Amino acid sequence: MATEQHADRVSPALELRGLIKDFSTGLRGLKLRAVDRLDLRVEAGQVYGLLGPNGSGKSTTIKMILGLLAPTAGHCEVFGVASTCVEARREVGYLPESPYFYRYLTGRELVRFYAELGGLHGKALAERVAEVIATVGLTAAADRRIETYSKGMLQRIGLAQAIVHHPRLLILDEPTAGVDPVGAAAITELILSLKAQGKTVLITSHLLGQIEDICDRVAILDRGRLMLEGAVRELVGRADRQALLVPTLPAAELQELRAWLESRGHTLEMVAAPKARLDQIFLDCVGKKK
Amino acid sequence: MMTRVTFSLRRTRLIAFNTVREAARQKLYGFVGVLAAAFVLGARSLRDFNFGAPELKFLADCGFGVMAFFGAALVITATAQLFFSEIENRTVLTLLAKPVWRAEFILGKFIGLAFVAGVFCTVVTLLLIQVLASREAQLLRDFPEASGLGAFVSYSNVIFAGVLQWLKLAVLAAFTLLVASFAQTQLFTVVTGFFILVIGHLQYLAQDAYARGGSWLGRGMSGLIATAFPNFQLFALADGLNVGEALPWWHVARVALYALGYIGVACGLAVVSFRQREI
Ligand SMILES: Nc1ncnc2c1ncn2[C@@H]1O[C@H](COP(=O)(O)OP(=O)(O)O)[C@@H](O)[C@H]1O
Ligand SMILES: [Mg+2]
Repeated sequence: MATEQHADRVSPALELRGLIKDFSTGLRGLKLRAVDRLDLRVEAGQVYGLLGPNGSGKSTTIKMILGLLAPTAGHCEVFGVASTCVEARREVGYLPESPYFYRYLTGRELVRFYAELGGLHGKALAERVAEVIATVGLTAAADRRIETYSKGMLQRIGLAQAIVHHPRLLILDEPTAGVDPVGAAAITELILSLKAQGKTVLITSHLLGQIEDICDRVAILDRGRLMLEGAVRELVGRADRQALLVPTLPAAELQELRAWLESRGHTLEMVAAPKARLDQIFLDCVGKKK
Repeated sequence: MMTRVTFSLRRTRLIAFNTVREAARQKLYGFVGVLAAAFVLGARSLRDFNFGAPELKFLADCGFGVMAFFGAALVITATAQLFFSEIENRTVLTLLAKPVWRAEFILGKFIGLAFVAGVFCTVVTLLLIQVLASREAQLLRDFPEASGLGAFVSYSNVIFAGVLQWLKLAVLAAFTLLVASFAQTQLFTVVTGFFILVIGHLQYLAQDAYARGGSWLGRGMSGLIATAFPNFQLFALADGLNVGEALPWWHVARVALYALGYIGVACGLAVVSFRQREI
C-alpha cells in the first residue's frame, strides 16, 4: 500500500512516449499515419487540453490511452501502468466523442451498470448513482429511456458514467460538441469542480475559447504531430503589456493622463471600451429563467 | 505494486444481464417468440386424423421443428445484432474503458444469449406439452382402447428433447459469436451463422465421406469439417418420445458434454480474436 502511494506520487497521470498509430486504408496496404511520434506528459491534478483540427489524431490518441487501439509503436502509461493492462482502466473515466448509449435503458440503469462494472456495489452503489445523476442535473430525467434524450442530455449522462466510479483521471473527448452554451457552461463548471477535487482532466475540443478558460496546459496536434505544448498562461499571456480598467474618463482627464504617462517616458498605446462577451450575455439572459 | 484486476464472474454476469435486458426490451425478439408459439398452438388444428400415437408424434415433430427453425433464426440474429449494436453504437468503447476484460465481454454476451435461447426453448416446450397433453386426453377419451398403457407420450422425454434443442442453440450462439468477434458487418455474421447451421446439420455427410476413405485430400477435407463443426443431428430426440422409451440420461449427458466442448472452444477462439480487434 505504501509503495503504491509512492509510485503514484512519482508517476504522472499520463505519459506517452513515441506513440505512433498507422491505419491501413485497405488499398495496396497503404498506411495512414493518424498519430506520429507523440510524446506527452500530463501531471496529476492538471486540466490538460488536447487541441487540433478534425482528423488530427486526438480521438485516436485517446483510444490508445484507453487500450482500445493497439499502438503501432511507442508506449503509453496511465499513473505508471501500461495502457495494455486492464489495471490501467481502474483510474480512468471516459466520455467518448458524440456518445451514444444503450437506448433501451433508462439513465439511472445506465449509470448503475457502469458503476457496477467500475466496482461499486451494495449501499454505496445506489447513493453514488443518484449523486452523480444530480451532479450532471439529470435527476428529473433519470428514469426516462435514453432514446428520448437530447444531445446535451446524452453528453451529461455520459459524464455521469465517466465519473461514477471515482476515477482520478477523466478523459473527455469533445464534451461540449453540439451542446448549447448553457449546457457547455455547465460542463465547464463541472470540469472545474473536478479539478478542485484534485482530479486530472484530459479534454479535447476545437472550441478554443472554452479551453483557454479552463486548461492549465495545452498541446496542439496537426496531422498526428505535436506542434506546440505549454502552459496556457505562458502561451497567451503577454508579460510586457498590461490593461487598466477604469470608468469612462472625460476627454480632458484622458489627455491629462496621457501627458502624465509621457512625462514619465511611457506611451498610452490603446484606449478602448471593453466588450462584454456574447456568450456571457447569453448565459445571463437564459440562466435567470431557470 | 498495483492491485491486479482479475477475471470477474460478477462483471461477466452484469454484461450477460445487460444483454438479456436489451433483448427483452426489443419488440422483434418478443415477436419471434409469439410467432413460434402461434405455430405450435396452430399445429393442433392442422390435422385431426384421430389415430392416436402417430398424430401425437406429428404434433411433437411440428413443435420441435418450430423450435429448431425459429430458435436458430432467433439465436443467429440476436447474437449478431446484440454484438454489433455495441460496436456500431460505440457502447463497447465506454464498456471496455472500464476495468473489464475482453474475455468478460465475450463470455457475458454468450451467457446472455444462451439465457435468451433457454427462455425461448422453455416457453415452446411448455406450450408443446400443453398441446400434446390436451390432445392426448381427448384421444384417450374418444378411443379408450387405443392405448394399453393409458398414455402415449413420455413427457419427461419431451423435456429432454427441449434441453437438447437448447444445447444446440447454445452451440450455434457460440459459433455465431466467434464469427462476430472478427467480422466487420452484421450481415456477414448472420449469413455465416446460417451457413454454420446448415453445415452442422449436414456434417454427418462429411463424417461418412471420411469413413469411406478416398484420396488423402478428400479425407483431410471431410475430416476437418467433421471435427471443426458440431454435428447438430446428435441433438435430435424426436423419435424417442413414446411412453415406454427409456429415459435417455446417458445420451443427454454425452451430448451435453459434446456441446460444452464445442462451446468452450468457440468462446475461447472468440476471446482470442476479440482481443486483437481494434475498436
Ligand atoms: N479505424 C480507422 N481506420 C482508418 N482510419 C482511421 C480510423 N480511425 C481514425 N482514422 C483516421 O485517423 C485520423 C485521425 O482521426 P481522429 O483521431 O478521429 O481525429 P480527431 O479526433 O482529431 O478529429 C483521421 O484521418 C481519420 O480518418
Ligand atoms: Mg475526434
